[in-house]
Amino acid sequence: MSYSVGISLLLAVWAYVGIVLQLGPGLWWTEALISGFVTGAVVGNIPLGLTIGASLTLISLGLWTYGGATIPDFQTGAIVGTAIGALGGGISVGLTIALPTALLMTQMDVLGRAVTTIFIHGADHYADEGNQRGLSVMHFLGQLPWGLSRGIPVFLALWLGAGPIESVLKTAPTWFSNGMITAGQVLPALGFALLLSMLPLRRLWPYLLVGFVLFAYLQVPIIGIAILAVAIGFVVNTLKPRSEGSEANA
Amino acid sequence: MPEQMNNEALEPTTATPEQVENSSAQTDEMLPVEAGSGQDGQHNGDLVALDKSVVRSAMWRHLITLQWSWNYERMQALGYVYSMLPIINAVYKDKAERITAMKRHLVFYNTNPQVGSPLIFGATVAMEAQREGEAVDSIKVGLMGPLAGIGDTIQAILFRPIIAVIAASLALSGSYFGPLIMFLSGIFWTILMIPLFYAGYKQGIGIAQEVSSQGRLARFTEMVTIMGMVVIGGFVPSIMAKLKTPIKYAQTVTSLGQTHTQTVALQTTLDALIPYLIPVVFVAFAFWLLRGLKLSAVWTLIILFIVAFVLGALGWL
Repeated sequence: MSYSVGISLLLAVWAYVGIVLQLGPGLWWTEALISGFVTGAVVGNIPLGLTIGASLTLISLGLWTYGGATIPDFQTGAIVGTAIGALGGGISVGLTIALPTALLMTQMDVLGRAVTTIFIHGADHYADEGNQRGLSVMHFLGQLPWGLSRGIPVFLALWLGAGPIESVLKTAPTWFSNGMITAGQVLPALGFALLLSMLPLRRLWPYLLVGFVLFAYLQVPIIGIAILAVAIGFVVNTLKPRSEGSEANA
Repeated sequence: MPEQMNNEALEPTTATPEQVENSSAQTDEMLPVEAGSGQDGQHNGDLVALDKSVVRSAMWRHLITLQWSWNYERMQALGYVYSMLPIINAVYKDKAERITAMKRHLVFYNTNPQVGSPLIFGATVAMEAQREGEAVDSIKVGLMGPLAGIGDTIQAILFRPIIAVIAASLALSGSYFGPLIMFLSGIFWTILMIPLFYAGYKQGIGIAQEVSSQGRLARFTEMVTIMGMVVIGGFVPSIMAKLKTPIKYAQTVTSLGQTHTQTVALQTTLDALIPYLIPVVFVAFAFWLLRGLKLSAVWTLIILFIVAFVLGALGWL
């Protein structure tokens, strides 16, 4: 089993549109939940799209393109994983393909970001001439490396790879799928570590312990912790003496 | 804030007011053609009353296309220039002046696109209308670092993780509300860009004071960061709760004078020590790879993946 050119192309366009509209206006269509859901709808297995999107979302907590950093591409991971899982392998096959896809796609992300550099040099040239139309065209062409670096892999994976990949994965030994499951459970650690490396940990680490104790020892649900976090934030802010600068500002 | 900015990827955007001076100097070097004649002072030239439709057109260009040409070299620079074109054309009638203005904006620019950039772009639109070209450059350089920090903190640390957990749990139970919540979140941040732009536009140069004076914005960021810390502390054990080891070991116990061996689950021993120890160890390990060994996120990911895969395949986790 495999996908027709039409379906493959449709999902490739979905990947292209998703990433470009993430660049601007920032519609969050690259979120695994959204890209997985839409893919599920296209291939006729929405529950699978929801499950794979949700699993990838939980792995991606804390991941953010800080300052233009490359992070695993869970958008493409969700599209390819959902589509291939929908061929019959279900959630286990879908997740097994989604994770490595998201990882490998980091290389395409770097490539896309690098190739777009061509257009800024084109824009320099047009700016020298005062050619605003040329400059605008350069800006619009900038989306091509971004969109194609997602669209082409999606198309190839679904059109050529879906069948072969699925048959290989279906016969994969248990230890392989166990390894993939564990990897999926460990990967959220990357998101948390990235988050923590962005925060003033040396100064604010005690607040981390508060959240940990609330969940690990007191079994407070996460929404409860979030509500308490808001309260703590406001209380700390109230107790903190106002500096001179803020007085002048207020 | 300085600690938060202490990151390789954000380094170019960390600009203190002192650095702004240097950056402006660099800008001059990069663009030797820059005309000092037309705009060498802040009180030079006539004020241009911008037509509302011109401002609106710039606002939409920025909102829809800012990062379409994002690249490693100058990041959001081209999107910024493209968005500024209607303003440039309204303010400068002379072709040479327009060229100068375009080239002036074609320098490195990168900040949080949905929270930070609308404010900066709005403020600089207002200043460009007053022909304060030089000041526009310093404002851009001075604000993009702090606002990247504030915007990313709010979106990536406070907002997204909480929303994502709710949405993912709903989706796992088969509910369409999961993706819908994410979809609405994207709409929310996109629409928010409109009032943020006009807030920046009305404040003009005043926005710099607001950000740099360690005033309300700094306090707000601190507050949001504290909230984020508490939530992350709860997220680590809850999201990674499934990480448990099935390993059992034999223990020799002496009770009532009789010695016999019993099998003990390693997980039980660990839980008695500290619950959710394995998730904590993995986060600490990843943090050490990132900060201690200064590995990139991609390498950290690959190492984590391999370690976890091997442990899982061996049946240890």
